[in-house]
Amino acid sequence: MTTATLPRPFLAQGWLRALVGTHVSRLVGIVMFGTIVAMCVLVPILSPYSPNDFVNMPFMAPSWAHPFGTDSVGRDIFVRTFAGGSVDLIAAAFTTGFAVIVGTTLGTLAGATKHRWADTILMRIVDAVIAFPLIILLLALVVAVGSDKPWGFAPAGLPAALIALMCVQWAVYARLARGQALALRNADFVVASRVAGLNPFSIVMRHITPGVSRITLAYAIGDVVLVVVILASLPFLGAGVQPPAPEWGSIMYEGRGFLRNAWWITVMPGAVLALTGLSLSFIADSLLDNRR
Amino acid sequence: MTLRAGWGQAAGKVGQSLLTLASVIVLVFLLVRLIPGDPVTTILGSETSAEAEAALRTALHLDVPPVQQFFDYIAGLLHGDLGQSAVQRGDSVSGIIAGALPTTLSIVAVGMLLSTIAGISLGLAAALSPYKAIDLTVRTIVMLLYATPTFLIGLLLTLVFSIQLGWLPAGGWAGSYPDNFPFLVLPGIALSGHLGPIIARTVRQAAIESSQQLYMEAALSRGLSKSALNFRHILPNSVLPIITLLGISFGSLLTGAIIVEAVFGLPGIGSEMTKAVARRDYPVIQGIALMSACAVIVGNLLAELIYPLVDPRARSAS
Repeated sequence: MTTATLPRPFLAQGWLRALVGTHVSRLVGIVMFGTIVAMCVLVPILSPYSPNDFVNMPFMAPSWAHPFGTDSVGRDIFVRTFAGGSVDLIAAAFTTGFAVIVGTTLGTLAGATKHRWADTILMRIVDAVIAFPLIILLLALVVAVGSDKPWGFAPAGLPAALIALMCVQWAVYARLARGQALALRNADFVVASRVAGLNPFSIVMRHITPGVSRITLAYAIGDVVLVVVILASLPFLGAGVQPPAPEWGSIMYEGRGFLRNAWWITVMPGAVLALTGLSLSFIADSLLDNRR
Repeated sequence: MTLRAGWGQAAGKVGQSLLTLASVIVLVFLLVRLIPGDPVTTILGSETSAEAEAALRTALHLDVPPVQQFFDYIAGLLHGDLGQSAVQRGDSVSGIIAGALPTTLSIVAVGMLLSTIAGISLGLAAALSPYKAIDLTVRTIVMLLYATPTFLIGLLLTLVFSIQLGWLPAGGWAGSYPDNFPFLVLPGIALSGHLGPIIARTVRQAAIESSQQLYMEAALSRGLSKSALNFRHILPNSVLPIITLLGISFGSLLTGAIIVEAVFGLPGIGSEMTKAVARRDYPVIQGIALMSACAVIVGNLLAELIYPLVDPRARSAS
């Protein structure tokens, strides 16, 4: 039997080593994602134009003045893309964070509780939610929630999409966490702490939750990609962020009709979206990879 | 392991699926009713007439007590009646779905076929030289594709193959076979851009795992050639998980098909859903949600039932 040779750590020690581990791909992912986040913060601040300004002629090809070109009414795609990026990324981080916390809590409790009926009821709900194709359940909820007005900082259409995502996304984490909690509740160290007389609450908090959340958190990083993609897909189905607010999906949806003459309106934000997804996948993959 | 135990196992899985189906039906029923506020005013907006509100209330069947609503709803389902469209009077929801379903299913079928072929080839190519250049390239392509939204893949395919090269139609639908086939190619490829990477990743993982098993060492010491090893031992073991994967991916394939339809203007479930969302036609949305969840449950069940037939090890597991 051949044993896999362990890759040599390329960062000998220090906090970088702890963050990156032995994975080159994780470092690449962190650098790529960090750059994109920095651009989303800096570009709207440093740029002379705001995302909704008409800055030049319509349909200008990418140039030094407008690196991603201009759209059908002469707005700068570069500024719109990175201003839209913060909408997508904050929304995805927010709903995924909510889903991880709610899902992990419910799932851990369901897996650890001795009231098996509570577990059964929760898992029936989870099964039902997961049975729906995600986008169909989202659209149904978006229509039911129905608000298409802006809400605080959230542009029109976003609140309904966020509420819909929060109603759906937790279920996957509940299932993941429950499975993990079920496995841990009979682990030796949990049995030992039970024998030692630790109360059930402390056992869940101190011994089960850390093991469960390690798995759900790694999964969550990959899930952010999924949420960004879903958010960007919604405009194509008549939901999601409404124009003129910049958002990756709505920019691409607006550019869809001009593909023949002005491919950059669609392709440029799309490329940034794909690179964001790639960088997060690199990070998530390296966290789930069992090579240390 | 006896045949009877196999039937018992299968019956248990069918029972589990029926239970999930029951939860789904309850959830779809509650969907409109659990949302705070009156669904009628939500759907119609604030500026509307009393007649329009009353008509919608009747169409949504909200003018009777909730318990009776539920039993009427169940009775309707048992007769295959999913209600009437709230916007297009006289159109039954089941009729709308039945008209659109064949288009969606043909896209799903083409997408499944293409992603299976591409996924197996890429996954095996990567697994046969793990952590080397080919593997790294395949994994990067796979991740990039996975991170690219289906609609973007569709738009890029249109840009290259329809607009630049003029090889295939950018959208539309002929309405009958075999004239439909050219219209299915680009949507099918776009759809496989999501499932293909998942299959490739799974095949790679399974192939690497099976290449580290003891029976590989045994086969090697019996003097089997490298290609015999790959075909007799690695290939079957790495293709097996695809059955399960296709089953559980049915939902995401439907999701993808819906988006692809919107991009290519195909008259399927996705177009009906988009239309219904724009018109806030709630009965149609509910019907499509219920139908698609059923399809996913059946897909999962089929995968679970077929798997033990193909893999003897799964039979003896109980």
